[in-house]
Amino acid sequence: MSALLTENSSDYSRTMVTATSHGAADEAAWIRRAKRSDARAFESLYRLHVDKVYGLCLRMTGNVSEAEDCTQDAFIQAWNKLQKFRGDSAFATWLHRIAVNTVLGRIRSSQRERDRIQAVADTSSTPLALGDVGELRDLSEAIDRLPAGARHVFVLHAVYGYSHKEAGSMLGIATGTSKAQLHRARRLLAQQLKQQGFEA
Amino acid sequence: MTELNDDKLAAAARRLPTEISPERDLWPGIAEAVHAPRRALWTPMFAQAAAIVLLIGASSAVTYVAVSGQQGPVTQVAPELVFEQTAFGSRYNVGPGFQNARDELVAQLDLELARLSPQTRAEIAANLEVLHEAILDIDEALVRDPDNLMLQAKLVKAYREELSVLRRVGGLTRNVMMRNDI
Repeated sequence: MSALLTENSSDYSRTMVTATSHGAADEAAWIRRAKRSDARAFESLYRLHVDKVYGLCLRMTGNVSEAEDCTQDAFIQAWNKLQKFRGDSAFATWLHRIAVNTVLGRIRSSQRERDRIQAVADTSSTPLALGDVGELRDLSEAIDRLPAGARHVFVLHAVYGYSHKEAGSMLGIATGTSKAQLHRARRLLAQQLKQQGFEA
Repeated sequence: MTELNDDKLAAAARRLPTEISPERDLWPGIAEAVHAPRRALWTPMFAQAAAIVLLIGASSAVTYVAVSGQQGPVTQVAPELVFEQTAFGSRYNVGPGFQNARDELVAQLDLELARLSPQTRAEIAANLEVLHEAILDIDEALVRDPDNLMLQAKLVKAYREELSVLRRVGGLTRNVMMRNDI
């Protein structure tokens, strides 16, 4: 397990754009302009937040193509709903909520997710191939193999730091259910990672 | 090999990157939607909500008339109350039985309304017209989203409600006539 904690090269770590060069004032101005249908301002908001939204979509779907579609849908929805954004929460949080809803909506209407879950169930006894590019990638892959409910809660709570109440609200489930899904996710992850030889 | 420690797992999860750059620029796909005209505010949800409100309004008006028992002199009915066949979007049509029943009721409507007071008549006419506009709006939304099952159901329901209102107007005027006879 100690190796798991060694941050290593990862597919996910290739370009970490944090967009910290832009301040809250810039963001607020872009939001105001985008609300007046300024597409260039909205593009600036997109550039500022796309990595956050795509990261969430990718971790929730575990699929690059799905994550790209969800990201695009989420920003299109954000554009259409921008007038409703009142600033009660951070714009990033508002976008995250839209992204989560987009992911959940696509999953509900997609047979692919059910097929994927079935494939996971069929191969769950197969050990993960030992990663040669880093254990964080292995953890990411293990997360991708989780059933959807457990994966979504684990991503929102353990990776993105949302409380169970917040995660439950975003996913439309009770706080207790979120806790139960996290417990399930941890158990399944532990099983998968043990098969890879990780130790506490 | 021991159990994987929850704390270490949580710590590892927190170290996973939360911001990931997509492998390709996703903006062009978004820009298409952004540069398109803003989506109309009239969404299926709005249509459904409006239909419900209007149906409640129409029903309330008829109920009010029924319980108030008002009657007045017979006068000419306002000619502006016009009913039109809607298209049910581009792919739907009302059945012949349904349409015949509706046509009969609409044809009788002027005679029925003539038995009511001007105020009552105006209220019913206004509510039916608003209800009819709601039907047209749902129909228009169906043109844009013809496979929306909820919209289809709402449109059928709205038509049924319209028929129900027409029938209740008929029943109401028969009651008025009976009172006159007595």
